[in-house]
Amino acid sequence: MNVDIQSLGTFNQLAHEGAQQATASLAQMTGIDAAVDVTKITLLDREDIGEDLTGREFVGVQFDYEGVLEGDTVLVFDGESADTIADSMMPGASDDPAMAQSAVKEIGNIMMSGFIDGWADYLDSTIDHSPPEYIEKSGADVLPEAPESGDHRQVFVFKSEIEWVGASVNFYIYMLPEYEPLAEAMMEHVDTDGDAIPIDKLQTFNEMTTKGTRQAADNVEMMTGIPTEAEVTQISFAPIEDVPKQVGTETYVGTVVEFTGVPSGYLMVLFDEVSAVNVAEAMMPVEMDGDGLTEQHEAAIEELGNIMTSGFVDGWANVLQTSVDHTPPRLVHDMGRAIVDPLAAQVGQHQEHAFIIDSKMRTDDIEFCAEIHALPNEKELRAALDDLDIERADQTDASVEQIFE
Amino acid sequence: MKVYDGSQNEETQDAESERLKVGIAEYKVTTEPAAVLTTSGLGSCIGIGLYDERTGAAGLVHVMLPTAEDVEGGNRAKFADTGIAELVEALEAAGASKRTMRAKIAGGSDMLDFSENGSSIGTRNLDQVRESLSEYDIPIAGEDVGGDHGRSIRLEADTGDLVVKSANTESIVL
Repeated sequence: MNVDIQSLGTFNQLAHEGAQQATASLAQMTGIDAAVDVTKITLLDREDIGEDLTGREFVGVQFDYEGVLEGDTVLVFDGESADTIADSMMPGASDDPAMAQSAVKEIGNIMMSGFIDGWADYLDSTIDHSPPEYIEKSGADVLPEAPESGDHRQVFVFKSEIEWVGASVNFYIYMLPEYEPLAEAMMEHVDTDGDAIPIDKLQTFNEMTTKGTRQAADNVEMMTGIPTEAEVTQISFAPIEDVPKQVGTETYVGTVVEFTGVPSGYLMVLFDEVSAVNVAEAMMPVEMDGDGLTEQHEAAIEELGNIMTSGFVDGWANVLQTSVDHTPPRLVHDMGRAIVDPLAAQVGQHQEHAFIIDSKMRTDDIEFCAEIHALPNEKELRAALDDLDIERADQTDASVEQIFE
Repeated sequence: MKVYDGSQNEETQDAESERLKVGIAEYKVTTEPAAVLTTSGLGSCIGIGLYDERTGAAGLVHVMLPTAEDVEGGNRAKFADTGIAELVEALEAAGASKRTMRAKIAGGSDMLDFSENGSSIGTRNLDQVRESLSEYDIPIAGEDVGGDHGRSIRLEADTGDLVVKSANTESIVL
């Protein structure tokens, strides 16, 4: 299966409009003003779906749907916003579990009908969906089983985050389509001017990025002595203006490099401030002077960012069988989104959508979480993938072998 | 913890809904005196707040790139030239007049500029914003631009004040 950039863009737009329609239904029924924050298409390992929901309780509705697309979809609110929604529809409803449940179910049903109808209209076909099923679960369990992916190790997930204006409450729409019908629908939108990417290569690239992340995690472990695990690696596709929203609004510390070669682009290694202090102190033989983040901490982060970048980029260069050079790291300590913004703007001079590669790592020993985000030039990434020879890959690098077993 | 009865709860929601969040490559306009327009994470991007004291209309656009020239179609609010045009038109549609509009701008930082020659996107954004505003004869009444740090801003519709926050410094009011 090939997928071209245009069709990824179109499908992303479709999911965005569906989410907007769902949000408008919510506003109409409850008077709650909400805005669609992010919509993206992500290709990731099925076990990693919903990792960002961990540790929170959700209620919502689940549907299955069939027709031109098949699969499951959910709309989930966190517990607190579900109460507010219930109360706005029927004052006092949140005190009565049965009423709260029926309010969530009703609003969920109306929101999701809009979402699914939007897809059917666009695809000029019908999509039937089941009656909504009320769900109440914690973390990623709230999401439906990922579709059986057969030979495919990874699945596409359409995810929209909707933010409630004036409060830090989010809700999410996840749509998990079956691979084959989605592939067929996308195929119909593939044009033949040569900007198509074979999906298996995108998957391969994703897996090799995981390898790069492991290497980066090993480097952290080597420098700090703290066992560090590579977590999720995913590749997402989003409009360029949504790219800075991949990172939170809080303050981050980290490093940024520009990498050159095919592809070129930018790579960020970011720590939240607490993680930055913790990991920097783990690297230092002596106690730090003063509280918070000092220049010594920043120097340690710079060194760590550099070595993580090298690990990550080496993993990539192996896959692509090219050399990927990068500039010396620049230390950043600023609002997360403001860090990504100039990089997205650079890339956005030449493209409307972007691939974003995100990896996370964490450790159980101390409070520590690091994020790696790469923003490659889309045309060059496509060219690099085009040259990626999956067959040859397993003969040239022993460590690649196990991935392609 | 305060306990609200139903009616107070409604008022709370009304108060919340008057905070209008403007995303990247978006704009919003309000004629509500109590409204506050906000946008966050400005790096090389620029937030342009326009305010018409005569009518009390206010608007905010968050632009990412200087000009729409080289790009076909797409979102006009993404670019400084077309974004300002959109905002001015939307304010006029809300009853405001170009002649009495004032602008306050923030952003256009040079942070993470890897370009070795030529000016940074932040600088080019800034040049374009100034040029576009002057084409409409809209004076810039306040600015916090350039430098190498990010900003978040809040435009208060009743006063036209633009409050600028940075990660490591105190807020300033333009």
